[in-house]
Amino acid sequence: MTTAPPQETDSTSSDGIRALPLRTAGYYLLLLGLVVFYLLPMETGFMTSIKTAVGVRESLPFLLPGTDLSFQIPFVEFDVDTMLEQTTDEKWRDAYDTLSRGMVNSMLFTIPSTILCAIFGSMAAYGLTLVKWRGQVFVLALFIAGIFIPYQAVIIPLTELYGFIDLQYRLGAIWALPFLSEERHPTILELIITHTAYGIPICTVLFRAQYQTMSWEMIEAARLDGAGLWRIYRRIVLPLSIPMFSVVFIFQFTQIWNEFLFSVTLIRSSVDEAASVTLILGQLGQAIEGTDFPLRMAGAFVAAAPTIVVYILFTDKFAEGVRV
Amino acid sequence: MLELIAAVRSDGTTGDTGDDEDERSGRSRWERLRQSDFVRSAPFWGPPFLLMGFFVYAAIGWNFLLSLTDYERFQGPDYSNLDFGMYRRMLDDPTFWEATQNTLILLIVFTVACLVAGLLLAILLDREVRFGRGFRTIYLLPMSLSFIVTAQFWKWMYNSQFGIINEFFGLFGLGPYGWLSNPDLVLFSVIFALVWQFSGYTMIVYLAALRAIPQDQYEAARVDGASTLKLYWRVIIPQLKPAMVSASVVLLLFSLKAFDFLFALFDGYQPRKGADILSTMMVREAFARSQWAYSSAIAIVLFLLSLAVIAPYLYQQHRQGNL
Amino acid sequence: MARAKLDEVTKIFTEDDGSEVVAVDDVTLDIDDGEFLVLVGPSGCGKSTTLRMVAGLETITDGEIRLDGTVINDVPAKDRDIAMVFQSYALYPHMSVRGNMSFGLEESTNLGDDEIAKRVEESAGMMGIGDLLDRKPSDLSGGQQQRVALGRAIVRDPAVFLMDEPLSNLDAKLRAQMRTELQRLQNELDVTTIYVTHDQTEAMTMGDRIAILDDGELQQVGTPLECYHRPKNLFVAGFIGDPPMNFLQVTNEDGTLIDHSFEYPLPPQVASAVEGTDSLVLGVRPEDIELEPDQSRADDHTISATIDVVEPMGDENVVYLRLADGATIARPDLAEQDAAEGTHVNDAAVEGSDDAKEGIAGESRSTIIATIGGMQHFDDGQDISIRIPPDAIHVFDADSTEALHNRTLQDADAVPGI
Repeated sequence: MTTAPPQETDSTSSDGIRALPLRTAGYYLLLLGLVVFYLLPMETGFMTSIKTAVGVRESLPFLLPGTDLSFQIPFVEFDVDTMLEQTTDEKWRDAYDTLSRGMVNSMLFTIPSTILCAIFGSMAAYGLTLVKWRGQVFVLALFIAGIFIPYQAVIIPLTELYGFIDLQYRLGAIWALPFLSEERHPTILELIITHTAYGIPICTVLFRAQYQTMSWEMIEAARLDGAGLWRIYRRIVLPLSIPMFSVVFIFQFTQIWNEFLFSVTLIRSSVDEAASVTLILGQLGQAIEGTDFPLRMAGAFVAAAPTIVVYILFTDKFAEGVRV
Repeated sequence: MLELIAAVRSDGTTGDTGDDEDERSGRSRWERLRQSDFVRSAPFWGPPFLLMGFFVYAAIGWNFLLSLTDYERFQGPDYSNLDFGMYRRMLDDPTFWEATQNTLILLIVFTVACLVAGLLLAILLDREVRFGRGFRTIYLLPMSLSFIVTAQFWKWMYNSQFGIINEFFGLFGLGPYGWLSNPDLVLFSVIFALVWQFSGYTMIVYLAALRAIPQDQYEAARVDGASTLKLYWRVIIPQLKPAMVSASVVLLLFSLKAFDFLFALFDGYQPRKGADILSTMMVREAFARSQWAYSSAIAIVLFLLSLAVIAPYLYQQHRQGNL
Repeated sequence: MARAKLDEVTKIFTEDDGSEVVAVDDVTLDIDDGEFLVLVGPSGCGKSTTLRMVAGLETITDGEIRLDGTVINDVPAKDRDIAMVFQSYALYPHMSVRGNMSFGLEESTNLGDDEIAKRVEESAGMMGIGDLLDRKPSDLSGGQQQRVALGRAIVRDPAVFLMDEPLSNLDAKLRAQMRTELQRLQNELDVTTIYVTHDQTEAMTMGDRIAILDDGELQQVGTPLECYHRPKNLFVAGFIGDPPMNFLQVTNEDGTLIDHSFEYPLPPQVASAVEGTDSLVLGVRPEDIELEPDQSRADDHTISATIDVVEPMGDENVVYLRLADGATIARPDLAEQDAAEGTHVNDAAVEGSDDAKEGIAGESRSTIIATIGGMQHFDDGQDISIRIPPDAIHVFDADSTEALHNRTLQDADAVPGI
């Protein structure tokens, strides 16, 4: 048996056969350069968001307020007083004020949709993967194709549909209940239904990926043991799906939170009670505040906060969802 | 994204019914039909299928129907008078052709750029590197952001007066450039920003594929006399083809529907001249100009373009037995 | 075709936590042109690492490797004119067999397409895979893939062949078949070959010479029979030969080997060879042990024992015996290992309890193995005498593990290479 030797860390040689023969220092420099590339827009945005109007004019976008480049070490010169003068949290507070109801709304429809999607996706994947029947392939193809449909092709019918089935009117009894009587709730419900429906294909496909790796023999054994389909699902498949549930939650939460087209379609105006955070942020630019870049930057961060947090905490799971 | 399709089925059977199963347990054809798994599994996949079937496929059908009417403003669609008038109008509309051209440019340049960028990133990170996970996290970070959010950042980056890009060029005495105002530059500014956002995705896809290639193939190629370039070009990259294909499908289909970014970048339904694509035109005709039927027609065109990408791919996967 | 020379080659790996692992320690080997040298040893002994240093897949920490006189330490793998067969074959899955075999020639030579095609056909013919040239590796069986891997190496016509356990993924029968074929091939092509394996049978049957490594250190280099009959130390003696040599831990009292259950007088020349050393190990190969059912025919060199198990192999019987009265049968070096792990073989033996012997030292350690003719018949549990012929014994220094005396061979001329 060949033994696997521990990884060489010879700094004078290329790091193993697998990589490009770059010298280690140059390699890390390249990687850091890419870090700058990928973080620059956000870093610049952040710096801008804490500057006053004067600060925006006076200092370079990616530098702290009140600082300037110089040719001497440490290549940055600053004066603490100027810095404080040009720093402000005004925009963050404004952004928060403007966007907070959007955040609440987004939460209101994102979380239920994510949960429903996951449940539907898991069940659909089970019925299509761990139970075999003729014609499965065709149904599967429809699910997979469903992921890629451009939503532009359905938004007008959606508008027609929700205009036709006036949820506000038809479910009047429900809206009379104490917790559900806010003006925005019918729209929120529309959003939940919509996002759930369009999230089903990708969730199904994600679960299917995991179910395909499950031992078919295990399922057969359970069936021979007399378990029906539902039993098998509840007692074997579902518990084993828990890791995938977390992947789906994280991925789908991000997708739905970040989505914009359905918000525009169903809610229309950022003034609406049910406006999602992406809608408010997106239409921020059409108002007078549109020229206020620090506000926009702060708004961007506030709106993105939940997904950034989820991403940092669960990067691997997110990557798993993206990859499929 | 579609690697799951390429996963080998664990039991090695096709999608067909368990004929082997029945042979083994000796059930008759009749019993099989009665208790068929099709029926018994229906409660599981049925509701999601119906939901999706209605909201996706029925909706598209409805959309097509609408495109055949003359529906605009607040009249209400007249389903009795159906014709292809909207399509004729489309073909005569120079805006439509401009948008189509821009869409195709976006499609191709964006997809190729993402594939190349992602490949380079993956190759760089496919080794034992300190903080490797950290680097990957950072390169993938843009994917976790909404396009509305990233559009704010890029709008600021591209700003002709204060934007950092013009500041940078200014150092060399170049510019200032109208990245978003110049019709010749705007589409590529958009593509560049989108590649920034999406290259992490292709990187992840390639990384997974690269991990599957055993170390000793690299070694064998070395011993066989291949230089690094040749090694990657002749041994490694050809084996990345499946990953490349599935990533391309995702990228192409994404760029077809890319609307959010443009709306936020240009603060409205009308992107600057040179950056109008079919999806922005479609939404504009619908929500800004209330030209419902016309907009539906454009949406159908988008759908057909998507079909042109997804159908061959699904077919190829099916032929390869991956479905 | 070339001479390969390894001069005090050392490889040290640095772990993540900063600790150093010496994988190969000061190995010196001189390989002749056209020689088939087998590097053999247990897992982790450094044989693969050594091979990979010759290939250029690992850097050399210290020492020099020369090919035909030129030092190749800093020459990259692709320029060394070496062909390698990997344990996993490392075929390129997206290329046909033809593509796989042509790749090396395309990348390391300036030959034209026609010439390359011709050579590929030739080598494919030699390996018997001529009709598989247009198939992909995934369409081939394990044995066929192995041939392609070999063919890929042959077609390069390199200075040296390197083979890293190429047969270990084959089933037993195929392996035996390929062994002979490989030998025939190597004879025909007359290319210097370095072959790595952990299987001592392969080493014995295939090598012109074998180099035995343990824990990074070269134990012995010599012809197979040399290593078999004239092992330099305990490790080599125990490693080469299947079933392995039996070892008895004894003390030297004036030319007689004493264990608390028997006494074994040494012939005079052996006694003088071991004079001055008190702690010894007596070694004897299974095929040299004589079984004497008639207990009355005991002599100085007989020990009483009980038969544990008889394994009939057809052509021979492998007999496992237990010595009477708690004789100490152990490998001193393994005893060291036991001591480190907390088991105490020697103490138990001194105690003399059967339980202690079995439970702590392990069954295999308290068993003597003898191989006898297939036609002789013995029963399990039978009490018997075993005779250890004095001209067949090996004696080792228990502390330094060096061989102090190896067996006499009656017909030295009949055994070439000694």
